[in-house]
Amino acid sequence: MSGVLAVRNSIESACEKQVQDAGLDGTETYLQPLSMSQNLARLAQRIYFSQAWGSEEEEAAGAEGDTHDWAGAGSSADQDDEEESLDVAVVTCWSSTNPIEGGQKLTKSVTENKENKLKRDFNSEFLQHWKLRKVGDKILGDLSYGSAGSLFPHHGTFEVIKNTDIDLDKKIPEDYCPLDIQIPSDLEGSTYIKVSIQKQAPDIGDLGTVNLFKRLLPKSKPASPHWQTKLEVAQNAPLCKEVFAQLSREAVQIKSQIPHIVVKNQIISQPFTSLQLSISLYHSSNDKKSQKSQSPEDHLCVLEHNLHLLIREFHKQTLSSVMMPHPASAAFDHKRMRLSGPQAFDKNEINSLQSSEGLLEKIIKRAKHIFLRSRTAATIDSLATHWSNINDVYESRVKVLITSQGYEQICKSIQLQLDIGEQELQDFLLSQMSQHQVHAVQQLAKVMGRQALSFSNHVGLGPIESIGNASTIIVASPSRDYAISVRNGPESGSKIMVQFSRNHHLHGPFKEWNKMESRNFVYKMELLMSALSPCLL
Amino acid sequence: MGVESVSQMPVAEGKSVQQTVELLTRKLEILGAEKQGTFCVDCETYHTAASTLGSQGQAGKLMYVMHNSEYPLSCFALFENGPCLIADTNFDVLMVKLKGFFQSAKASKIETRGTRYQYCDFLVKVGTVTMGPSARGISVEVEYGPCVVASDCWSLLLEFLQSFLGSHTPGAPAVFGNRHDSVYGPADTMVQYMELFNKIRKQQQVPVAGIR
Repeated sequence: MSGVLAVRNSIESACEKQVQDAGLDGTETYLQPLSMSQNLARLAQRIYFSQAWGSEEEEAAGAEGDTHDWAGAGSSADQDDEEESLDVAVVTCWSSTNPIEGGQKLTKSVTENKENKLKRDFNSEFLQHWKLRKVGDKILGDLSYGSAGSLFPHHGTFEVIKNTDIDLDKKIPEDYCPLDIQIPSDLEGSTYIKVSIQKQAPDIGDLGTVNLFKRLLPKSKPASPHWQTKLEVAQNAPLCKEVFAQLSREAVQIKSQIPHIVVKNQIISQPFTSLQLSISLYHSSNDKKSQKSQSPEDHLCVLEHNLHLLIREFHKQTLSSVMMPHPASAAFDHKRMRLSGPQAFDKNEINSLQSSEGLLEKIIKRAKHIFLRSRTAATIDSLATHWSNINDVYESRVKVLITSQGYEQICKSIQLQLDIGEQELQDFLLSQMSQHQVHAVQQLAKVMGRQALSFSNHVGLGPIESIGNASTIIVASPSRDYAISVRNGPESGSKIMVQFSRNHHLHGPFKEWNKMESRNFVYKMELLMSALSPCLL
Repeated sequence: MGVESVSQMPVAEGKSVQQTVELLTRKLEILGAEKQGTFCVDCETYHTAASTLGSQGQAGKLMYVMHNSEYPLSCFALFENGPCLIADTNFDVLMVKLKGFFQSAKASKIETRGTRYQYCDFLVKVGTVTMGPSARGISVEVEYGPCVVASDCWSLLLEFLQSFLGSHTPGAPAVFGNRHDSVYGPADTMVQYMELFNKIRKQQQVPVAGIR
């Protein structure tokens, strides 16, 4: 009115169609509205049929034809049937108050009612877990890992069929299910991968064999119906086959110092010269005789878990955002690899992009680690009683505390990374123990008010030790009445010498002292020091 | 990725191409360089098709499609004084589809093949330039890895070249003069190779100074 700029107004009708996508230039693509049959199907899903009772329902059930394959199975259901069924549903709801006619009719209706109920539950449960599609007049499902990102060429289709062995006259079993599944023959039975580590030298313990992915014959659990367990067991087969195919491919391709052997369905490799790791794929079609359960040893169960995780990670990678979406003409590879052409990457840069380690290498590394760890643990156990460790997939760290009984305040703490050999570890621990003794004497001297005149961790005097070095300490009383010299070596043991003073000066010969009995070295030293202090009476 | 200098080594008097190459490689080995595999650079020429030229009768431009084994997943397409396109290897397939616009010149494929020698930060590639079955010349490429600016390391490169090429040391390549202080890229190397190949192709007119 008074010089205010006019504002543009526009009126839009209420959007009837839902917007699916908006283009960069502002054009909108709409979702097509549901057709009549689709709409009916959607509405019918909401109706709970089992509430309706009565003879009308039975008549209507007979009249409507085949209700069994209506809800959920296919997208293009017959329109006529649906309309009829819907009408029927409405009728039954309204006529539930009419009196029931005839006991036989009632029984039949109960049966069919239960069937319908089970059907609804089945449909919702089945569809929750498995993908189904309708091909012709068959309903097929997919149990391969393709949708999870696997590129393994295994179809893994199963068929859903009607379970026709129902006898209405007899009592219906509790776990009856109106539908059944048919699995292709090569997926039947159990497939599993066996990983075993065997010794080839007498002194190394056999770490044992474990069967991975082994499942006993499925006894239907009360919670889930039998087809669920059956399908889960069948799903193992493509996974095991894929894992084995990947491992054998890598075994042939990668170069290592000791080449891997691939024979039929077994891969043999040697992580260490005296150790043999064998991975094999087993398939048993009839499970009756292989019912005996294996008791896997704890540490090889981790290998199973690792293999499973690694292949799932591999699947996830193919679906990850660095791979997908990818142009149709590009190879199935990391995003940066597509840039290697236009940005003229040289060989070094290309090598750095390619994935470095394969499944087999990781498993061998893991097996090596398990083996080393168990041997190191055995070594430490032979020397110590209490120690703690922190474990990672490929690394372990150990904290060892060396103390003397009764003198736990004086302790030597060692943190080790377990990548040294067994013998070296033992030597190292022994040398640390001998050093600890001398350290303990030093601490003790402080506590008791004595003075350490000299201290050396690696002394160059005396006989040469084959493991580590000897340590020495000379402790004297404040009044210089006496001096104690201690030399402790991992091999030569401990040597204690005492020197007495004359005229308050320390000189004179050192006399060896080895007559004291005590429960440990530090206690002996304490007793010695207290015994030598002059009585002030 | 460093700075590369591509030059031609004239064939020694009274010797064949192969013998000269052997002389050079022996010199390099005495110097202390290590053999590190082989390399190959090739070039194909395309004319812009007559149908796209219009009625002015302007000369068709020449396009060179080159490959370099140092960049195995790339393909280079360049015009004489024009831009250089770096694409992935699907470009070759694309050229087949562009037959209507670019026609391959007859017997135009020229390539150089030889060995790579690594000498500390220098990478030396000595190759025999062949067109068809016949050897036409020798190409020498020296790369100084650590540096990416041409003007900074040209003097060092020159010194190194003098140490084993002696009197045949080339002058500074034209691409260096164009852009001072800008980062050297693989496209510049391909331009140098293209110029070298063109020079050798022109030398074809003069009969090769051979053994009489």
